[in-house]
Amino acid sequence: MSEKLQDVIKKQQKQKVQPLKKDEDTLQVVGFNVGDEEFAVSILNIQEIIKPIDYTRVPGTPGYVLGVFNLRGNVLPLISLRLKFGLPFAKYTEDTRFIVVKNGAQTVGFVIDKLTQAFILRESEIDHTLDMQSEQEGLIYGIGKREDRIITILKAEGLLKREF
Amino acid sequence: MDELQEILQDFLVEAFEMIEQLDQDLVELENRPDDLDLLNRIFRVAHTIKGSSSFLNFDVLTKLTHHMEDVLNKARHGDLKITPEIMDVVLASIDQMKALLFSIRDTGSDATSGINIDPTVVKLDAVSSGKAIDAAVAATPAPSPVAEPEAAADEPDYANMSAEDVEKEIERLLMERQEQDEKRRQEKRANGEAMPEVEAPREVDEGQSESAPAPQAAPQAPAPAAVPAPKPAAAVAPAAAAAGGDAAAAGGTTVEQTIRVDVNRLDHLMNLIGELVLGKNRLIKIYSDVEERYEGEQFLDELNQVVSSVSTVTTDLQIAVMKTRMLPIGRVFNRFPRMIRDLSRELNKKVELVMSGEETELDKSIVEEIGDPLVHIIRNSADHGVEMPDVRAAAGKNEMGIVELKAYHEGNSIVIEISDDGKGLDPLMLKSKAVEKGVISEKEADAMSDKEAFTLIFKPGFSTAAKITNVSGRGVGMDVVKTNIEKLNGIIEVDSQVGKGTTIKLKIPLTLAIIQALLVGVQEEFFAIPLSSVLETVRITQDDIFLVEGKSVLRLRSEVLSLVKLSDIFGIEATMEENENLYVVIIGLADAKIGLVIDRLIGQEEIVIKSLGYYLKGVDGIAGATIRGDGRVTLIADVAALMQMAKTAHKKVDTTKKATAAIAQAAKKTEPSDYKVLIVDDSKTDRSIMRNSLKPLGVTIVEAGDGVEALGIIKNSDHPFDACLIDIEMPKMDGYTLASEIRKYNKYRNMPLIAVTSRTGKTDRMRGVEVGMAEYITKPYSPDYLMNVVKRHTNLTVEG
Repeated sequence: MSEKLQDVIKKQQKQKVQPLKKDEDTLQVVGFNVGDEEFAVSILNIQEIIKPIDYTRVPGTPGYVLGVFNLRGNVLPLISLRLKFGLPFAKYTEDTRFIVVKNGAQTVGFVIDKLTQAFILRESEIDHTLDMQSEQEGLIYGIGKREDRIITILKAEGLLKREF
Repeated sequence: MDELQEILQDFLVEAFEMIEQLDQDLVELENRPDDLDLLNRIFRVAHTIKGSSSFLNFDVLTKLTHHMEDVLNKARHGDLKITPEIMDVVLASIDQMKALLFSIRDTGSDATSGINIDPTVVKLDAVSSGKAIDAAVAATPAPSPVAEPEAAADEPDYANMSAEDVEKEIERLLMERQEQDEKRRQEKRANGEAMPEVEAPREVDEGQSESAPAPQAAPQAPAPAAVPAPKPAAAVAPAAAAAGGDAAAAGGTTVEQTIRVDVNRLDHLMNLIGELVLGKNRLIKIYSDVEERYEGEQFLDELNQVVSSVSTVTTDLQIAVMKTRMLPIGRVFNRFPRMIRDLSRELNKKVELVMSGEETELDKSIVEEIGDPLVHIIRNSADHGVEMPDVRAAAGKNEMGIVELKAYHEGNSIVIEISDDGKGLDPLMLKSKAVEKGVISEKEADAMSDKEAFTLIFKPGFSTAAKITNVSGRGVGMDVVKTNIEKLNGIIEVDSQVGKGTTIKLKIPLTLAIIQALLVGVQEEFFAIPLSSVLETVRITQDDIFLVEGKSVLRLRSEVLSLVKLSDIFGIEATMEENENLYVVIIGLADAKIGLVIDRLIGQEEIVIKSLGYYLKGVDGIAGATIRGDGRVTLIADVAALMQMAKTAHKKVDTTKKATAAIAQAAKKTEPSDYKVLIVDDSKTDRSIMRNSLKPLGVTIVEAGDGVEALGIIKNSDHPFDACLIDIEMPKMDGYTLASEIRKYNKYRNMPLIAVTSRTGKTDRMRGVEVGMAEYITKPYSPDYLMNVVKRHTNLTVEG
């Protein structure tokens, strides 16, 4: 193993051990998989996570808008993140969930393939440079690293922005 | 300071309420200038506002109302006859009073309003001193209404007092009155009586107390200090006391126990009820499931009782909450008498407004929306509908034109009817005007029925007025009507007779939050259509659909409706097999109608409208969503948008069958004998005459002795017929029935049917046209004539 890599591993292990300081700028997120990639959304924007339920198709909307569903008397839009990110449609599995994301007064449900875990990221660890080059401008908050994984952190207001 | 603010608030609320009533009273007064009750009522308004405004130090307002009061007081005592000219002045002053009140409401002061009341005051003075108004305006202000020579004998004090003195006196009395009120209140409190803290009515009491101690005493009867020392104010008292009974009654209605509630709270309540209604629907659904599974079980009875009682209570509760949001439509109607009055003077017409059903109630949000459309319609009626007096007289009508405004309930809707007895709408004129302005094409104009032609008035840019007047003619108004009524999911119907008048009927759902809807199924999806927009549902077969210019239409009784599939509008893929039977929901909105083809009718249900939220807002054709008893979301169709989308989504409802029929008919015909003509007649002689007449053509002729036989031949023939000659009077099945039977077959939809009969009556001919006869030949006829008719209808071009 090269020295560099060992350095990285050491650093990461340090991170694990190091307790977070209270005044440090952190971001608590919920991670999930869409396709092969891992994404995350700030936990403050997540209202709840539910198992898939029936939804009603709404005509005249783009393909990734699956329709609307009833969440305890509220009618919410349902969006497939797979389709929104240009991945092919996949059948629901055991792990499929609806993540209900809230931003201000707006609430929208998103279909994701699998939940990973909730964790805390240091603001300083998040790489924001990608944002500028990103095609989906305003959708990505930054790139976070966790162990050996790269996680795309999504912005709630970007997810909830209507693009049609 | 807070207390003063509170008083100010009450004053404003009270003042605006009074003004609303005032407008109506004033116009009525012009018709019945001798009505003492009316005069007293109007006088009291001016008086009350004057009293309160002087108390609150609104000097400008006080001055204005004071002079108004002078004029009205004289009228009240019969010293002044109300003429239209005087009325104009009074109305103008009331307008200024309103403007001042608005200024007070917005800025808290009447001094900064920039309204110059002096000219009006001068005019008022002139009126009260009996001079000609114009003269007074020309001359410099002559503030001498003080010396009133016509002062009535029984009130010397009042008449001899200067205006200022009267005012002082009144103010003094006001103060006295308030002290007494305060004292009495304290007494009551001491007696442990619950004193209802209703501020607004108290203000009225105080207002009335100045002018009429009697009615004041009435509602709070046993107060010993109720009658103030009758000093000079007694002059005012007797007159008012004359109306004492009435005023007490009127006072009774104002004292009616009411509270003002923030509309937001009611909205919230309505939302909660909405949830409850959904819950109820769900309960009913679950009950029916349970009933199926546990049939005959004891507990079902109990469950049934609970479910039905919950559902009754929910319904009652919903109605009760809806009622709290209801306002009488009179609120909107109130402004129209004044409007008509002003209009008739402006247009030099004589127009009378007759209103009924002012007490009809409907949702507050609708009351707010309905005002504008009504203004436009009524203006239109007065301006375009009602003719000038001389024209009316020449036409043998009463010079006074009547505009009638009616409101009443009909099922779950409220109907507002505006009718005039004016010149009416001429459908031909409307059509030609519309073509001229490029609103419709000539072809469209020809296909239009009279009723459809009437609805042209709602097209934007369409105006029948020869010239643009101040009042109307810009072609905007009626378009506004249409848009607003559409917004409310309402329906507009126009009916008119030339020379007799026009009636416009607005049908509006009672409430917007919880509605009755028709649930329909398209493939595997469900949609809810607001029942208020559903005119009827019909079941048809593919054969009932006609093609006109590539569009599918349905002939329903006397109307032709364009048809569109809901699945085409919403882009629903056809996965299920199509039924032979189609259901058509006829939807109507404002002035338009179309037929929506759906697969299944589910039924009628009460639904709660939920917004789709920001993310899906404005999706075409969807007005919102609702949650059904099974917890699933059902989308609510936006009827207005559907109508728009139907225009573009117009696909042929039936393509396959038409195509095959067309191909069959287009099969090559080279010989005249390829053309087949069916002759149906019960008389053998007649048949041979026809056959001989057609012989020169060389066409193939098939004969039938009666309708039933003919139908059998038509059904079983391999080759379609090109024409059919039908006698009307035949045994078993007559010619009309035969014709309509034949028309039921798709491939014979366009086959020319020619009636050959000895019946010559006009009604016979009409019936012939109704059942689709292309030509009506009366016996006897010349062989050549018959031959030519057949030749023309079969497009026979090949020479034999």
